[in-house]
Amino acid sequence: MSLLTMSAQLAEGFLITVEIFVLTLLFSLPLGLIVAFGRMSGCKVIRIISKIYISIMRGTPLMLQIIVVYFAPFYVFRMHVGTGYRFPAVIVAFVINYAAYFAEIYRAGIESIPVGQYEAAQVLGYSKAQTFVKIILPQVVKRVLPPVTNETITLVKDTSMAFTISIAEMFTVAKQIGAAQTSVVPLLAAGVFYYIFNLVVASFMEYLEKKTSYYR
Amino acid sequence: MKRVLVALLAISMAAGVLTGCGSKGSDKTFTVGFDAEFPPYGYRDDNGEYVGFDLDLAAEVCKRQGWELVKQPIDWDAKDMELSSGAIDCIWNGFTMNGREDAYTWTEPYVDNSQVFVVAAASGVQNKEELAGKVVAVQKDSSALAALNDEENSDNIALRDSFAQLIEYADYNTAFMDLEQGAVDAVAIDIGVAQYQIAQREAGKFVMLQGEDNKLAVEQYAVGFLKGNDELRDTVQKTLDEMAADGTFTQIAEKWGLTDSVCLGK
Repeated sequence: MSLLTMSAQLAEGFLITVEIFVLTLLFSLPLGLIVAFGRMSGCKVIRIISKIYISIMRGTPLMLQIIVVYFAPFYVFRMHVGTGYRFPAVIVAFVINYAAYFAEIYRAGIESIPVGQYEAAQVLGYSKAQTFVKIILPQVVKRVLPPVTNETITLVKDTSMAFTISIAEMFTVAKQIGAAQTSVVPLLAAGVFYYIFNLVVASFMEYLEKKTSYYR
Repeated sequence: MKRVLVALLAISMAAGVLTGCGSKGSDKTFTVGFDAEFPPYGYRDDNGEYVGFDLDLAAEVCKRQGWELVKQPIDWDAKDMELSSGAIDCIWNGFTMNGREDAYTWTEPYVDNSQVFVVAAASGVQNKEELAGKVVAVQKDSSALAALNDEENSDNIALRDSFAQLIEYADYNTAFMDLEQGAVDAVAIDIGVAQYQIAQREAGKFVMLQGEDNKLAVEQYAVGFLKGNDELRDTVQKTLDEMAADGTFTQIAEKWGLTDSVCLGK
């Protein structure tokens, strides 16, 4: 098998990898903010629920969460899910998992802003919402970018776990080609794909960091 | 920045559409679950298509029944969950029935399979007794592993205990890579897969231990359905019998070089 055919086939799997990546970020970044607010809520019940959520999501393997999301409808509720449920299940599992990590990153960012700024804003007549959106958030965004980049890059590589419920993303395709060709080259080629993609992700995040280098 | 976001959104939506429209409407689909890293029974060919002896058989059954065949590669660890949740209709993938007789509803066996040892030709190992004190590789949850752990077979247990170590691998490709670099001394494996691996790799590098005495276990492949799904099993069995009677089955076996091991209709 030529390297070109192999790359073309890997590219097909890569499309699935990118889909998982994009959709996960699209939903987990905002969900993480909601969880972070819950974690810092004035209401004790919401705070405890958010804490338990984060604790479970971080404390159990992503692989198990994928299995639970996909198989629970049948094993718990006896609902028959079609084979079309595989992909949504992967996305749901990744989103709820990554939202927990993002929530803690956001919390670290938000709590790093000195209390004095809130007091000053209050004196200047800003409402609570205004204070957050106009003063706190712009600073939080730039502070959380490096750890968010970390998580994002981890996510690219975690996508290979989607095969737990038979979504054949790039690494699975690489293993299948490797088995048929009895060769290790497809795995290395997949590594190149991952590396280049992460390079693009990291460069994009660096660009964002430059864009947000205000207040200096 | 905004443009980038819009582009990302567009990509993700297009991607969603692509995956969402995977299933076409048809009267009846027949979803075969298989491990796509198991040549020659089910694997990925040079064109990226899922092919193999078992998939060809399944395709022929579907053709005769007017079903639409769905080839669903699965994670072997999740096969039971896939089957009982109805995500797949059967497991058709060099699936050993021995030891699992009561766990599934089976067709008649169609392949006589045995487990063999593959060693590096340079090692000079001739029979399985010489593997004492050596490191042996096996695929996790495979029939070779089951044979080595068969408590009722004292010979196999003694053999296993004579190994320095028995290592379980996620797939045979990794096991063979380890055999090639000398980290393990032998691989315990299904004969059909062993032949494929030896043929694909550098000629003369690996050999199978010859002779009936060196075989680990004799076992049979059949198609596994969800326990109690007799209706679907009966339909498939009937079609397979017809295929055996009119010679189609033998033709397909010839195509995959498995004439020596098939047993349906014999």
